[in-house]
Amino acid sequence: MDFTYTPAETEFRLALRHWLVDALPNGWAETVFEPEDEYERAMFRLAWERKLHSGGWSGLNWPKEYGGRGATLVERAIFAEEMARARAPEIINVPGHTLAGPTILLYGTESQKQRFLPKIISSDEVWCQGFSEPNAGSDLASVRTKAERAGDKYIVNGQKIWTSFAQYSQWCFALVRTDPDLPKHKGLSFLLIDMASPGISLRPLRQISGESEFNEIFFDNVEVPVENVVGEVNDGWRIAMMTLAYERGPEDALGRQIRFKQELDQLLTTLSTQNRGNGKAIEDPNVRQKLAHSITEVEVMRLNSLRTFSKYLQGEERGPDASLIKLYWSHAAQNMYENALDALGPLAPLAGTDPLAPAAGRFPLSYLQSKAFTIYSGSSEIMRNIIGERVLGLPK
Amino acid sequence: MNFGFDEQQKSFGDTVANVLADFPALTSPDLSAPPHDAVWQALAEIGLFALMVPSQFGGVDMSLVDLALAIEALGAGLAPPAVAATLAATDLLVHHGTEAQQREYLTQIATGGIRVAVAVLEADQGYDPHDVQTALDGSRLNGTKILVGDAAEATLLLVVARAFDRPCVVLVNADAPGIAIRIHDDLDPTSGYCAVTFDDVAVRSGSVLNEFYPEHAVERLVDVSTTISAGLLMGGAARMLDTAVSYVKVRVQFGQAIGAFQAIKHRCADMAVAIEAGRSVAYYAFWAAAENAPDRARAASMAKAYCGGVSRHVCNETIQLHGGMGFTWDLGLHRFLRRAKVTEHSYGDAAFHNERVLNATLAEVSAAADERRNNA
Repeated sequence: MDFTYTPAETEFRLALRHWLVDALPNGWAETVFEPEDEYERAMFRLAWERKLHSGGWSGLNWPKEYGGRGATLVERAIFAEEMARARAPEIINVPGHTLAGPTILLYGTESQKQRFLPKIISSDEVWCQGFSEPNAGSDLASVRTKAERAGDKYIVNGQKIWTSFAQYSQWCFALVRTDPDLPKHKGLSFLLIDMASPGISLRPLRQISGESEFNEIFFDNVEVPVENVVGEVNDGWRIAMMTLAYERGPEDALGRQIRFKQELDQLLTTLSTQNRGNGKAIEDPNVRQKLAHSITEVEVMRLNSLRTFSKYLQGEERGPDASLIKLYWSHAAQNMYENALDALGPLAPLAGTDPLAPAAGRFPLSYLQSKAFTIYSGSSEIMRNIIGERVLGLPK
Repeated sequence: MNFGFDEQQKSFGDTVANVLADFPALTSPDLSAPPHDAVWQALAEIGLFALMVPSQFGGVDMSLVDLALAIEALGAGLAPPAVAATLAATDLLVHHGTEAQQREYLTQIATGGIRVAVAVLEADQGYDPHDVQTALDGSRLNGTKILVGDAAEATLLLVVARAFDRPCVVLVNADAPGIAIRIHDDLDPTSGYCAVTFDDVAVRSGSVLNEFYPEHAVERLVDVSTTISAGLLMGGAARMLDTAVSYVKVRVQFGQAIGAFQAIKHRCADMAVAIEAGRSVAYYAFWAAAENAPDRARAASMAKAYCGGVSRHVCNETIQLHGGMGFTWDLGLHRFLRRAKVTEHSYGDAAFHNERVLNATLAEVSAAADERRNNA
C-alpha cells in the first residue's frame, strides 16, 4: 500500500494543475459558475471538454494510437483529484468516454477503433446509450427493439427510453434483438447507430428536476451498416454486461465523486457564512454530525474507487465488484443531498433565481436530480441481486 | 500509488487468523475469561509483537500498515484487547520513545514479554484526551481511569495524564505501589475492562513519552488506537457477515434456502457494501498513521466513526437473519455484538470523531478557497 506518487506522477499532477489555472474562466467557482439554462449549460460543458482535449487531457488512459494520452490508472485518479480541487465543470459525453470507448476498445474491430475512438476523445462526437426500453428496465434482456438483416444493412425498429443526452448525440450504442427465436439473452447484439440516420426521432422526457436530460428514441426502419455491430452477432448481452461493469465501475464513480465533493465543499463554505440566530449555520451540533458523516461517505467513494483500481492494476477482472461501487455511491450521494437540505435549515427550499437562495439555489436542484442515482445504470435492487448472487454466492 | 496489500501483509492476516482459530474458547458463548496466556504465547511465537519493533531491538521494522490485516484478524477472532493495546504501544514507543525507553520496553515487547493496557478515559470526562484530570505532579501520579482493557493482566500501563497543564502519556509499571485495579461489571466481560486508581504512584523520571512535545505522543496514541479499533471492528463485522451468509445458504423455510429470498439476499448485499466501504476508510487510516500523513487524525476519525456504524449495522442484521437462534446464548453471536459495542465506545464514539472530521475538513476547504482567490 502506497499513496505516495512517483516523480512522473507528481509532474503530471502539477502540469494539470497549472493548465487548469489558465484554462478555467477568471473567478471560476468563486464568482463565475456554469450557465443556469439547461441547453447553455450542455454547450458550456461540451466546450469545456473540447478544451480539455485541446490541452491533451482527454482519453487519458486510452492508447496513443487512437488519440489517447496513454496515461496510467493512477494518473486517471490524479486527474479526478485535480478536477475536484479546481471545481472544474463536468462533461456531457460521459457515455462516450466511460461506456462506448472502453467497449469499442475491448470488443471493436480495428476499423471501428480508428473510426470512433479519436472522435470520442476530441468530443466531436457525443454518444448516448440505447439500452432500456419501456418494457425492459431491470429485466434488460427482454429488449424488443429489433434489427433485421437486409443485405449489408440492419433495419432497426423499436423504442429506447431514459436516454440521457440523446439530443446532443451524434451516435448511439444500442442493445438490439437480432434473433427473436433464440433464448432472450442469446439473441441480442451490440449495435452502433448514427443518430443522423433517417427514421430516428426523439421525444424529451421531463424529470422531477424539471430538466430534460432524458429522452425517448424511436427507430422507424432505420438503416445501419452491418459493420456497425460490435463483437459477434448475438453476443451483445455479454458485451453489454461489460459496458455496464464500466458504467458502474471506479472510473465513473471517481468522476461523480468530483462533483459530490465540490458540492459538499460549497455547502461547507455556504454554511460557514450563513447567519443562524446569533451565530452561523455551521455551529449547529446536529448539522455538524450530518455533515461529517457525508464528508466521510464522499471520501469513501474515492477510496472504494482507488481500491478497485488497484485490484485491476494487479490483474483482477472487472466483474460484479462494480455493483458494490455503484450501490455505495448512489445511496451515499442521495444521503448527502438530504443532509444538505437539512443543514440549510429555513433557507433550504429557496431555489434557482431567488435572491435569498443559498449557493445560487443549487442544492434543491441537486437534491431532485439525486433521486435518479439509485435507478439509472442498474437499480439498487438489481445491484443487490448481483452482489448477493455473484459476490456472496447466495442462491437464485 | 497502490491501495492494496502485498502477499506478505496478507499472510500476516492469515497467520493470525489461523492461530486464533486454535483457541475456540475465544469466540465461545461462555463469558468466562479465555485462555490469555496460551493465546498470548501463540501470538508471540509467530512473531506478531516483533513486527513493528526496530531491528536494533530485536524486531523486523514493519509499520502499522503491514499489520492492518493482522489487526482485522484480531477483531475477527475476538483476541484479548491487550494484544491490540500492545501493538499501539509499540508504535508509540517507535515514534515518540527515547532510545532508553525503546531499549527498555521494545526489546521485551518483541518477544511477548510485556502486556500493555492503555488508560485514557475518566468517569467525569468525555472522549477528548486533552481534558483528562489524572495528574502527574513531579514524580507522582494521581487519578482514576476507567474502561482500561485487560488492565488486570497488563505489565505496563500507558496512562494519559496532565503535567504542566499539558496532556502526556506516562509509562507506568502495572505493579507499582499505589495502583488499585477493580474489574468492571460491563457489557463485555471478555475485554477485561478495569477501573485503575493511581494513588500517589511514584513515577520514575524519563517515563513521559516525548517530553518536549508530550501532546504529540497523546495525539498519536489516540489516532493509532482509533485506527486499530476501526480495523478490529471491520474484522468482527466481516466475520459476522460470513456467518450470516453461511447460515442463510442452508436455513430452509418455505421449501428453499432463505438466502434466495430478496428480503434476505438484499440485506446481505447491503452488509457486503458497508464492509467494503468500511475497509476502504480503515485501510487508508492505517496507511496515514504508518506514514504520519498530514491527514492522519482526520483519516483515523473518519475510520472510527464510519466503521463503528458499519459494525453496528452488520451485527444487528446478522443477529436478525439468524431468527430465533440469533438471540440464543448458545449460538454465541452475542460475543461479537458485545465486543463490537464496547469497541465502538473506545477511543471516541462517532459523535466525537465526526467533530474532528468536520473541523479538519473546514480548515482544508478554507485553505483551498484562499488558494483559488490567490490564483484569480
